[in-house]
Amino acid sequence: MVVLKSVSPPTDGVRHEQAETSAILDGKGLGCGTLYVAETRLSWFDGTGMGFSLEYPTIGLHAISRDLGTYPQEHLYVMVNAKLNDENDAEMRENAEDEEDEDASDDDGGAGDDEEGVISEIRFVPSDKAALEPMFSAMCECQALHPDPDDEDSENDFEGEEYDVEEAEHGRGDIPSFYTCEEGLSSLNSEGEATLSRLEGMLARSVAQQFHMAGVRTDNTGGDFEDGMDVEGGSAEAGQFEDADADVDHW
Amino acid sequence: MSTCPSDSRPTLRTIVENSLVVLLQGLHGQVTTVDLRDESTARGRVVNVDAYMNVRLADVLFRDRRGRVSRLEDLFITGRNVRYVHIPDNLDITDTIEKQLGKISRMRNYETKNPQSQPKTCKICT
Repeated sequence: MVVLKSVSPPTDGVRHEQAETSAILDGKGLGCGTLYVAETRLSWFDGTGMGFSLEYPTIGLHAISRDLGTYPQEHLYVMVNAKLNDENDAEMRENAEDEEDEDASDDDGGAGDDEEGVISEIRFVPSDKAALEPMFSAMCECQALHPDPDDEDSENDFEGEEYDVEEAEHGRGDIPSFYTCEEGLSSLNSEGEATLSRLEGMLARSVAQQFHMAGVRTDNTGGDFEDGMDVEGGSAEAGQFEDADADVDHW
Repeated sequence: MSTCPSDSRPTLRTIVENSLVVLLQGLHGQVTTVDLRDESTARGRVVNVDAYMNVRLADVLFRDRRGRVSRLEDLFITGRNVRYVHIPDNLDITDTIEKQLGKISRMRNYETKNPQSQPKTCKICT
């Protein structure tokens, strides 16, 4: 059984406020009130000023439910990884064993505490169903402001260089896609060698052109480079196919 | 060299480039199943995955840990609660990762050369 406490609604960073919103906690209706989606916490207060707050780190997921077969009203569903405890304040309290187990054992073990879980389900039912999307979006934004502090991966110092796709694709001499094996080169016939030197010359010219272009790359910074070939300017492209006909028989 | 702001916390981009979240970001638009820590599952279309592995799905079939199934129009799963993200069988993992890293790198190159027109938010990393 939940005892609502008198907690003041957040005043700062309220991303969304929705009046005329009913709250149902683990199946028990708490009445009609106002939902505050604030950056610091999620709060709900009924008409008499009593309510509860949720801390975002305790929220496991939230969703828009329009499935009337599951629940007769469209609503915002929130799953909380904690139990509303009326002995404490309305603040959520994480299962203390959960954290102790994580120190002692693997994250995915938890001695079954995670699987059993202490979970609360809350449904916020606004009278204005069109408000569900902004309520949901506001919660997404606020949730993203509270990344998991226990996640060690995000705290590590990342060593190594930033991935540079230009380096990876064009290299600085070591271009993995170029066939530089001695045996391969020696198996070229005279026309093959001519083609090879022509292509190498064109590549050298197009690479030189890149550094002469004033600062701004061309507008091909979108997702066009699927094949990894970064061709600058029109002249290189036009030049590529000038004598294509002559080579057609040899490919 | 990794880019770290003065508060010594890695940037979102650094997080993404140095973890497999970059693979999950390549799943945008695909339908997949996410297993949660409490053993519930959610199957839907990936709308977004951020650097903290928060996953947003649309048109979701949600099976809670008791086995009860419901449909959810829009679902946001907190990264901490994600246990598995199923990668579709037809997805080339290496190729997806390379493409995602390429997009991020090009955006960084573009920003470096065009500082005055830098977008305020990186839509890939936020």
